[in-house]
Formats: sequence, C-alpha cells, structure tokens
Amino acid sequence: MTALLEVTNITAGYGDGPAILDGAHLTVVPGKVHCIIGPNGAGKSTLLKAICGMLKIRKGDVVLKGERLNGLRPDQILRKGICFVPQERALFPKMTVRENLRMGGFILGNAKELDRSVDAILDRFPILRERANQHAGTMSGGQQQTLAMARTLIIRPDIVMLDEPSLGLAPKIVQEMFSIMKMMSEEGVTVLLVEQNALMGLKNSDIGVVLDLGRTLIEGPAADVLADPRIQELYLGGRKAA
Amino acid sequence: MAQFIQVLILGLALGGVIALMGSGLSLVFGVMRIVNLAHPSLIIAGAYVAYWAFKLWGIDPIVMLPVAALILAGIGVLLYRLMFEKEAKSARYSEMTVLLTFALAMMVEGLLGAFFTNTQRVTSPDYATDAFFLGDIFIPKGQLYAGIVSLVIIGALALFLKYSRMGYAIRATTQNRDAAELLGVNVNLVSVVAFAIGIGLAGAAGALVSFVFSFFPAKQWEWIAMLMSVVVLGGMGSILGTVVAAFSLSVIAAFVGTWVGATWSTMTFFLALFVILLIRPEGLFGEKPEMA
Ligand SMILES: Nc1ncnc2c1ncn2[C@@H]1O[C@H](COP(=O)(O)OP(=O)(O)O)[C@@H](O)[C@H]1O
Ligand SMILES: [Mg+2]
Repeated sequence: MTALLEVTNITAGYGDGPAILDGAHLTVVPGKVHCIIGPNGAGKSTLLKAICGMLKIRKGDVVLKGERLNGLRPDQILRKGICFVPQERALFPKMTVRENLRMGGFILGNAKELDRSVDAILDRFPILRERANQHAGTMSGGQQQTLAMARTLIIRPDIVMLDEPSLGLAPKIVQEMFSIMKMMSEEGVTVLLVEQNALMGLKNSDIGVVLDLGRTLIEGPAADVLADPRIQELYLGGRKAA
Repeated sequence: MAQFIQVLILGLALGGVIALMGSGLSLVFGVMRIVNLAHPSLIIAGAYVAYWAFKLWGIDPIVMLPVAALILAGIGVLLYRLMFEKEAKSARYSEMTVLLTFALAMMVEGLLGAFFTNTQRVTSPDYATDAFFLGDIFIPKGQLYAGIVSLVIIGALALFLKYSRMGYAIRATTQNRDAAELLGVNVNLVSVVAFAIGIGLAGAAGALVSFVFSFFPAKQWEWIAMLMSVVVLGGMGSILGTVVAAFSLSVIAAFVGTWVGATWSTMTFFLALFVILLIRPEGLFGEKPEMA
C-alpha cells in the first residue's frame, strides 16, 4: 500500500535548543490506526508537533501524498488535511460544544457548509448533541476528549493526530475513545496517536511505532511490535521510563 | 423610600457609562493579557475630541461618538504596531506591557496637558444639565442618554463577539490562544483587531464621559482605580462581568456618596478593588488565576 504521509529522518527541536528528534521516521498508510509509543521524553509529542508545523524541521522531509510540507505553518498544514489534537485537548472551555465544533471548521469560511458539517457531527455523537449548548469546560474528561476528536472531523481531514487521548481517563472511557478512533479509521480518516500505555495502545492499533531518544526504533504491524523483544527490554527491563 | 429610589436611579444611570469605560479594558486584557493602564488616558483623549468638536463647531458629543471611536481605534492600531507587536514573543511580556502602558499613560497625559492645559472641562449640550421628572424623582438626561448609548454599544459588541466570524476568533483566542492558532486563527490579526476595538471603545466612552463627568488630563488616575475595580470584580476579560460589576459598584458608590459622604463615593471603588483582590481575585465571572 502506498504511504499517505511519509516522514523521513527528521531532525527538529525547540527554538535554537538541541535537536530533540534526530532520525525519526514514520510511514503512515491510509485508513489505519497508528500508535507511537516510547518512554517518557522520547520525543513522541515533539514528533507530532513537527509534523503539524509547530516546530521547524531542521533536516529530513515530511511528505503528504507526494507534496512536501516542510516549512508550512500549522494552519496551512491543517488545510492540507492533517488535524492535530494536542495533549491538553485544545478546547475552548467557555464556548459551547456547538461553538467548539464551529471553531473546528474555522478555516472553512462558508457558514452554511459549516453549519451542515456541525450538524452531521452532532448526529453522529449523541452525547455531544445532548450537550450542544453546554460550555465545553463543564463536561467530563471523556466527553471533552470525544469533543476534541469529533471536532477534527468537521473539515474531513485525511489524518488526525492525537497526543495521549487516554490521558486522565478511566479505563472504560479509554475503550470508548479507542472505538471512536476505530470508527474514524473505518470511515477513511487515518489515525496517528501517541500512547503512554504501550500495551493498550498497540492492542488497539494496526501499526506500531517505537520512538526512543528522538529516533524511530521499530516500525511495523502492531502485533509484531508487541512481540518484539526490544519492547520487553524498553518497558520491562533495562532503562526505566523517566 | 423616594430618596432610596432616587439614589438607585442615579447609580444605575452612571453604571452604563462606567461599563463602557471598562469594556475596552476588559477586551484587551482578555485577548492579549495586557493590563492597559493607559486606557483611562485614552478615554480622556476621546473626551477632548468630543469637547472640541462641540466647542468649535457645536457638534453634539453623541453624534461625535463614532468619530472619536474611529480616531482612537486608529491610534490603537498604531500603538499596537509600535509597542506590543514585538513584545508578544518576549518571555517577560507581562512585566513589559505593564511598564509600557504605564509609560504610555504618562505620555498621553503629558501631551494632553501640553495641548489643552489642565483646566477642568465638560461638554455642555442642552441635555447635559436637564432632567426628566417622575413625581419627586429626577433622572438627569445626560446620564440617561449616556447610559442608554453605552448599553447599545455594549450590546452590539456582545452580538459581534457571539455571532461574527471575527467574534468567534476573538473569543477563542481569549480562552486558548494556542488552540485557536492550531485551528487556523490568525492570532496576530485578532490581537490588532481586538486592541483597535478596545481603544475605539475608549474613544466612544470618552465622547459620553465628556458631558457626564468633568475631566482634565490627570483625571486618569482616579479612573484607573475605578476601572480596575470594575474589570477585576467582573473577572478580567469577561464583558458581561464588566457590565454587572459596573452597575453594582456604581449603585453602591451612589449610596455611599449619599449616606456616608461624597468623598467616600470614589473610595468605594478603591476599597472594592482591594477587597476583591484579597478574597476573590478571579472576580464574579473570571476563571481562577493559575497558580504556577
Ligand atoms: N516546549 C519545549 N521546549 C523545550 N524543550 C521541550 C519542550 N517540550 C518538550 N521538550 C523536551 O523535548 C523532549 C521530548 O519531549 P516530548 O516530545 O514531550 O516527549 P514525549 O511526548 O515522548 O514524552 C524532552 O526532553 C523535553 O524536555
Ligand atoms: Mg508527550
């Protein structure tokens, strides 16, 4: 299968600081759930930020459907069809659920089209429809994460990147989040997520990527990654996560 | 009882103008985290625009209001470009902006004093000294008109923030700047626009203030404390909060002024600021300040 997004050996860091990523690569295939795992501080979040244009890429390439994305601003990358939900979920706490969804389509410009899009999303997520006029900040963690994920769908992106969507959620709710991701991928939205809990992340994904010290260590079908002895070493023995 | 109602009405009548005076300050703080200490001095600049237009050409200050607002909005764009744009990325942004706006306040006062002297001024259209009578109770026309115009402007601002695309962008930037940027909001443009609107509101408030209060350049120091207490009580950045706080404090000040003594009326605001900061720094409608 041809790659949708190809990240080749990128180097990136914050401002003029040291390179946090050095030799990170990634192949994203359409319609699959990809899970990036790795110890704390490995550079997982940094990788997502580099892809979405929040950090300058010093070396290497990010290529979406044959087009180089290096140097584009976050809003330009969003227009290319890559949507990023950072770890903090990036909601507007004092805007209603509906207003948050409308912000998801801020770049669309056409108000009618935006309203249709928002309504379609509310139909698909009854819990959000129920709370459409409630402030986002008053919802539970799971509902907020659902909103953050649903909001990415407004612009019909090709790729949705999620940084630790399970953070701070009860196990049962985490399962719900994974079902939403699965549903998204079945509808043709490719998912790229970062997960702290390697076992749970890999079990719920198609493709696994292991990142350590800013470079890609292993990349392949999630089941293979799960069985890789290096995973055992990284997570169970040897160097402990910080 | 009649006196109670009379004082209540006088307090309410001033609440609207005070809310308008505070709304621009609140908006600028919400979007840019700038505590604009120069806001009252810019209100006074707007008041001079209305004063001279009336004095020289007999133009009604309410008619002059949009002009004062536009002139000040233009000054706002210039000030933003000159003073704040390059500070936006500075790690010491908050200290810098406090110092910059303080310096600006002094400079505006100096300039106004140089041009217009420190004589007390008040614009005097007929209605400024006239009143409606309801039995024993009187409603000063000037304050009533100023209050109504203020509420219309604040209402328009609220509708703009609630429904327009730029309004969405401004609210989103206020609540979560990084998230707004990620979703494609040009936060730099939002900052310029919000600053221009904020200073434009100072100009609009100035036109009304010019016939409600007497003013001179150094009057800004009294108003700074008054407006600070209003926006802090309202919850910095919340327009609705600013309105509620302005009316509450204005009414309280009116009662204090009548029953305790006129000098204590302004003290109400200073004391309120002090007490609010001690017991509820997030104000009525604001979020708890982050303890980092
Ligand atoms: N805003 C930042 N400025 C400077 N360094 C940062 C910043 N964010 C993260 N880092 C550094 O980058 C490294 C990788 O961080 P991160 O990508 O967040 O790791 P992970 O998501 O894998 O836990 C860490 O050493 C961290 O200290
Ligand atoms: Mg992280």
